[in-house]
Amino acid sequence: MNPDDLEKHLRSQPMRQVPPQWRTDILSAARQASPSEHAPRTTQHVPRSPSLFSTLLWPHPTAWAGLAAIWLLILGFNLATGPSAPLVAKRASPTAPQVLMAFQEQERLLSELLGPRETPVAERPKPAQPRPRSELRHRLLMA
Amino acid sequence: MSAPLDVERLYDEHAQALFAFLLNFTRHEADTRDLLQELFVKLAKRPELLDGVRDERAFLLRLAHNLAIDLIRRRGTRDKHYEQLAGDSIAVFVPAHEPDEGAFRKALSTALGELPPDQRAVVHLKLWEGLTFEQIAELLGIPLNTAASRYRYGLDKLRERLRPLYDEIK
Repeated sequence: MNPDDLEKHLRSQPMRQVPPQWRTDILSAARQASPSEHAPRTTQHVPRSPSLFSTLLWPHPTAWAGLAAIWLLILGFNLATGPSAPLVAKRASPTAPQVLMAFQEQERLLSELLGPRETPVAERPKPAQPRPRSELRHRLLMA
Repeated sequence: MSAPLDVERLYDEHAQALFAFLLNFTRHEADTRDLLQELFVKLAKRPELLDGVRDERAFLLRLAHNLAIDLIRRRGTRDKHYEQLAGDSIAVFVPAHEPDEGAFRKALSTALGELPPDQRAVVHLKLWEGLTFEQIAELLGIPLNTAASRYRYGLDKLRERLRPLYDEIK
């Protein structure tokens, strides 16, 4: 038997075809697993130009929106009642000369109550008498 | 950055070859399906695997072989009858209309199942994929001489087993 003939015959044996229904299942599984399939899902949640501000605010958007609304209300209320407040403050606040005069008056009264200022003069410390260093030695010698 | 993977094209061009190789190697249709799906899912997850690949078919066959080896190793520890499954007759070839040819194909399928998996892989790649020993050696990660000797041993066993049937057909 010629081995080449057998090899040729073996090569000519047709292999079974892949079952056609596998194609749909396998490609479907592959599409689900592909990263591009997941990409649109993530971009729905992530802003296209993520900044630090949006990143910080993103976890609780409703809460942040509510807080912003409250601040807007406060700002609106403040603006609505705003013009009278500075006037009241202007009326209530004394002018600078008045404040200075009041301050000088208070200082005068205080000085009257306390009397004239006396600056205590500290006594100078007496200069210590230098002891003879050899006093003890001298006594010992004399003894 | 890799180009978007055209899974459908890859499937249409290579699924048949991968199916035949995996079916012949595992001798198990359900495993073949699982491995084929695992392979395409892996490619879909990591399309960069194909970056710089010149011979897609050889690369995919190597991937399929590695996945099949992993499966056999996993099975090896808990499913001792897996090798026995390989010996069972499974329809690897298209059924023939002529009885003699049909008997030959059935005998060939059984004889292939009796080969050790490493010989079976080389015989398949040489006979039905038409690869050279150099390509087979590279694909399976074995020396060139090993690829050639595995083919020779495998073919000798097939010849011994199929000689009577082949002489009748001839």
